[in-house]
Amino acid sequence: MVLVLVGAMGAMVSRAAIDPISLSDAEIARRYQERCQSVATSSMAAIQAADPTKGSYFDVATCLQRGERREAALARLARLIAPKPTGDMFWMYPMVSVMMAGERGLDDATRARIAELWRTYWPSRGDTENHWVLYYSTLYLAAQSYPGAGPGKWSNGKSSAENMAEARSYLEHWMEVTTSFGQGEYDSPNYIEEYVIGLSLLSGWAHDPAFRHKAHMLLDYVIYDYAVETLDGYYGGAHSRVYPKQIVAPGITPSVALGWLLFGFGERQPNATVQLLTLSGYTPPPILERIARDRDQPYVERELKRTRWRMRNAEAGTFMIGDKRTLPVYKYSYVDSDFILGSTQGGLLQPIQQQTWSLIWRTDLPAAKAANTFFGVQPYSSPLEGTMFFAGDWDTATNIIARSKADYDTPDKLPGGSPYEQVYQHGAALIALYDIPPGTRFPLVTVFFSRDLAQTDEDASGWIFAQGGPAYIAYRPFAHGEWRPSDWTGLLRNGAGGTFISGGFTDWGAGHRCYVSPALRNGYVVQVAAARDFASYEAFKAAVRTLPLKFSTTAAPEATFTSLDGTVIHARYGQTPAINGKLVDFAKWPLFESPFGHALRGSQKLEISYGPERYLLDFEHNASSLTVVPAQP
Amino acid sequence: MSLLRFLLPFLVLTAGVQAAEAPGPSRFYAAVSMTKAQKNSPTPLDSGLYLRAADGQWANFGPRILGVAGLAVSPVNSDVMLLASSDGVVRTPDGGRTWRKVTGWEVADVRSIVFDRHNPSLVYAATAWGPLRSIDGGETWQLAHQGLAKFYCQTILADSAHAGRVLLGTEDGVYVSVNGAALWQRAKFPAVSVLRLAQSAAEPKFILAGTQGRGAWLSHDGGASWNATDPGSASANLYAVAVSPRTAAQLAVGGWGIGVRVSADGGKTWADRSAGLPVRNVFVLAFDPDVKGRLWASTFEEGSYYSDDLGFTWQNGGLYGAYGFDYIFVPPAR
Repeated sequence: MVLVLVGAMGAMVSRAAIDPISLSDAEIARRYQERCQSVATSSMAAIQAADPTKGSYFDVATCLQRGERREAALARLARLIAPKPTGDMFWMYPMVSVMMAGERGLDDATRARIAELWRTYWPSRGDTENHWVLYYSTLYLAAQSYPGAGPGKWSNGKSSAENMAEARSYLEHWMEVTTSFGQGEYDSPNYIEEYVIGLSLLSGWAHDPAFRHKAHMLLDYVIYDYAVETLDGYYGGAHSRVYPKQIVAPGITPSVALGWLLFGFGERQPNATVQLLTLSGYTPPPILERIARDRDQPYVERELKRTRWRMRNAEAGTFMIGDKRTLPVYKYSYVDSDFILGSTQGGLLQPIQQQTWSLIWRTDLPAAKAANTFFGVQPYSSPLEGTMFFAGDWDTATNIIARSKADYDTPDKLPGGSPYEQVYQHGAALIALYDIPPGTRFPLVTVFFSRDLAQTDEDASGWIFAQGGPAYIAYRPFAHGEWRPSDWTGLLRNGAGGTFISGGFTDWGAGHRCYVSPALRNGYVVQVAAARDFASYEAFKAAVRTLPLKFSTTAAPEATFTSLDGTVIHARYGQTPAINGKLVDFAKWPLFESPFGHALRGSQKLEISYGPERYLLDFEHNASSLTVVPAQP
Repeated sequence: MSLLRFLLPFLVLTAGVQAAEAPGPSRFYAAVSMTKAQKNSPTPLDSGLYLRAADGQWANFGPRILGVAGLAVSPVNSDVMLLASSDGVVRTPDGGRTWRKVTGWEVADVRSIVFDRHNPSLVYAATAWGPLRSIDGGETWQLAHQGLAKFYCQTILADSAHAGRVLLGTEDGVYVSVNGAALWQRAKFPAVSVLRLAQSAAEPKFILAGTQGRGAWLSHDGGASWNATDPGSASANLYAVAVSPRTAAQLAVGGWGIGVRVSADGGKTWADRSAGLPVRNVFVLAFDPDVKGRLWASTFEEGSYYSDDLGFTWQNGGLYGAYGFDYIFVPPAR
C-alpha cells in the first residue's frame, strides 16, 4: 500500500510509501559493498600528489591499504605526523588506523617517525567511557605492532606486553559490564561512532582471534542497539549524550552517517568513522538491516542502561559494579513506522548532555535541514552534577565544563538532565513531572517546538496540538508558559563554543521556539499518534480532547492520563508509576526486550531475532551463532 | 625534637605536610593545569609539573599529562618521585629522566600522594574513586577501601609522628588508619567533604583541615578530634590550608571567594590577607621552607603569589593562567 499524505505542511510520505527493496542476504551484502567502494573511491581521490596539504589520515590509510597513490599518500602522511601530536585518544585512533590499514604501504622513514611519536608523546586517557574505549583499543593495537618492545619505546614507560595487557584487561571488563548492565554512555547519536571506531579497529586488526571475535560481536551488539531504535537512520529515543546542534537537527549526527553505510538510509555524509569501517572489512550481519528497515508493526523497545560512574554525591538507588557506583537507566521506546517516542526515567543520568525523552518523525527534508524532533528539558546546571561525574572542584566545575560545552550553563540549553525531572512512558504517551526547589539556578521547564512542526494550535481545552510530518502531537502543559525563540539568550547564534558547538547555526538553529514555564511544580502529558490512524488532524484533536486527564501540582505533582490506546498511566513525583493500576516492576526491566531482541540483566548474552532467524551473541563464552528456526509444520 | 632531627635529612615538604626548614634551596614544584587559555576545548593548554628556577622562571618538568595534582618524593632517595595524575600514578626512579605509569586501568583521578616517612616502602594516595596503598615504594598499588562508607577522597596525609598512621579527607569527613591504610576508622569530624589536610612539622599533633562549605577545622590530638576555627570562613569552600614549618602558631587557609586568611596565634584569631592578590580564589597555600615567613598562594588562573610578611603584601610569583593543585618543596639531597 502506498499512502501519501498531503497537508498544509507540505508533502509527507508515510513509511509505507517507500519502494520495497530486496532484503536478501546477497542483495544486502551487494549494496553494502557498493557503498564501501564508493567511500574508498572518494577517500583515495582526496589524496593528490600535487597538493600534499589535503587529505585525512583515513584518506591516506585507504590509499595505502589499496596500493593506490602510495607516494602521494606518504607525502601527505609525512605532513600529518610532522608536528607534535595533540588530542590524546583523538590522535591515537587516526594514527592507529593508518598503522593498521596502511601497514604494508608504509616506508621505513614513516615507520620510524610513527615509532618516535609513540615514544615521545604521552596521550592522556581522558575521562569518559568513549575516551577510554578509544584509548585502550588503539593502545592495544599500537602495542601489538611493536612486539617485544621494551618500556623505553613507549611514552608511558610500559613495555608493549604491559600495554597490551592493561588495554585488554580494561576492554574485557568494559565488554562484560556493557553486556551485563548496559552501556554508561548509551545510545548517543554523537558518540556511537567512538564505539564503532574502537570496536571496528579491534575486530579488523587484533591478532588474537578470540579477542577479535569478541570485538566483532560487540560491534554487532552496538549496531543492533542502534538498528532497533532507528527511523531511516535517525537515532530515536532517549540518549545519554547529544550536542545542542544535533539535538535540534538529528540528521547531522554521526549515527545518520553510519546509517547510510550500514543500512543504506539517506544520503552519504562525510564521516571518518564511515571511512574506517570500510577499511576494517566489517560487514554487518544482514539481520541487522532487516531489523532496521522493518517498521511494519509498531513495537516497544525496552532497554537497561546505566549512568556514568558516580564518584560522589551519589543518591539513593545507586548500586556498585566492582568499586564503581552507578544507577540503572530504564529506557523505553515506542517505535512506529512514522515516529519514535522514547524516554528514560529522568534524573541525573549523565553529565552535561543527557536527553531524557524525545520524539522524532519521518521526514522528507534533507538530513542537513531537518529538525524533525520534539522534546522537553529542565535546564539544570549545578556543580552538584559536575562533581558527581568529574574529579574537579565545586567552584570551578561549571566553569570548566562550559569551556567545551558552551551551552551547559545557560537557561535556554536544550540537552541536559535534571534531578527534578521524572518521566513515565507507556506506548505513545508520556507524563513528565517536575518538582523544582526554589532557588534552583534555572527554574524553568522548556519544551522544544521545531520549525518543522505544522499546524501548531493552542486549543481552548489546554492542549497544544502540532503535526510533525506523519505524526500528530498533543502536548498538555500543567502550568502556564510563554513562547520564546529557542536560543533566546543568543549564545549559540553568536558562535559560543566554536564551530563544533554552534557552527552553521542559521542552517539548523534558526526558526525554532520553545514553550517555557517558570512554575516550579510542573508537568505535562505528550500523546503522539500516526496521522495515518486518523481521518484528519481535526479527528485526532477531537479524540485527544476526550481523553481522561487528572493532574495536580499543588503538592507533589501527580497525573493520571488515559492514552489513546486506553492505557491508564498514573504518575506521582517521587513514586513508582502505575500502568492500568499495576506498579511498574523496574527490578525486572530487561537488558533488551522487543520483537527483535532479548537479553536478561547480567546475562552477557543477546539474542537477536527476525522471523525465523536467531543470532545469538554470547559474551560469556565468546561465541556467536546464527540459526534459522524451521517453520512449524 | 629528636625525632625531627632524625627526619630532617629526609624531609619532603608539600602543602599537605609542612616541615621544618631544610638547609639550602629546595626544589620547588607546582602541580598545575593551564586552564586560563582553555577555550572551546575540554582539555587545558598544558598540564603537569612545573619547576621553579633560581631566577624565578618556571619550566615544565616530567610528562605532560592531564590532571597532574601532586608529587611525592621518597624520603630516602629523592630521585624516586611519584606523580599523581588523572591517568594514574607515574613513577620516576632516576630524578625525572624516565617515567613509568605504575598503575593499571583501574586507577584514575589521583588527587594526592604521599610517602610514609617512617617506612618509605609505604605510600598512600587519594583518588576520586577511593584511597590506594603501595607497600613497595610505589611500584605497585592496591585499593584501600576497607572501612570507608564513601570512597571519594582528595587529600591524604601520612602522620609524621607515627609509622603507618594515615589521615584521609573524604566526602564523609576525616578517616584515620593506624595500619598503613589497610583499615579506616572515622574521626570525630562532620560529614562534609574534606578538601585539604596539613600537619605541623613542629607540633605533629596539630593538624589543619579545609572543607567544602564548613570552613577550617583544627585538631590538637593528631586528628582524632576536631574543632572549627576561623568563624570568618566558616561556610567557605577551603581548598588550601598551610601550617608554617617553624611554628604551629602560623596558619593560613584559602578558598573560593575567601582569598587568604591567616592566623598568627595557632588559630585563636584570624585575619583576611587577600589585599594585593588579583582575585580572591585560592587553591594552594604553602609556607616556603627556605625563606622564613614566606607564604605562597596559587590563585585561580591569575598566577602564583608570595608574601614575606604573612600576607600583608604580595609579590607576583609567575605561573599566570594556572589552575594550581599543589606546591611541593623538595629539600636538596644529602
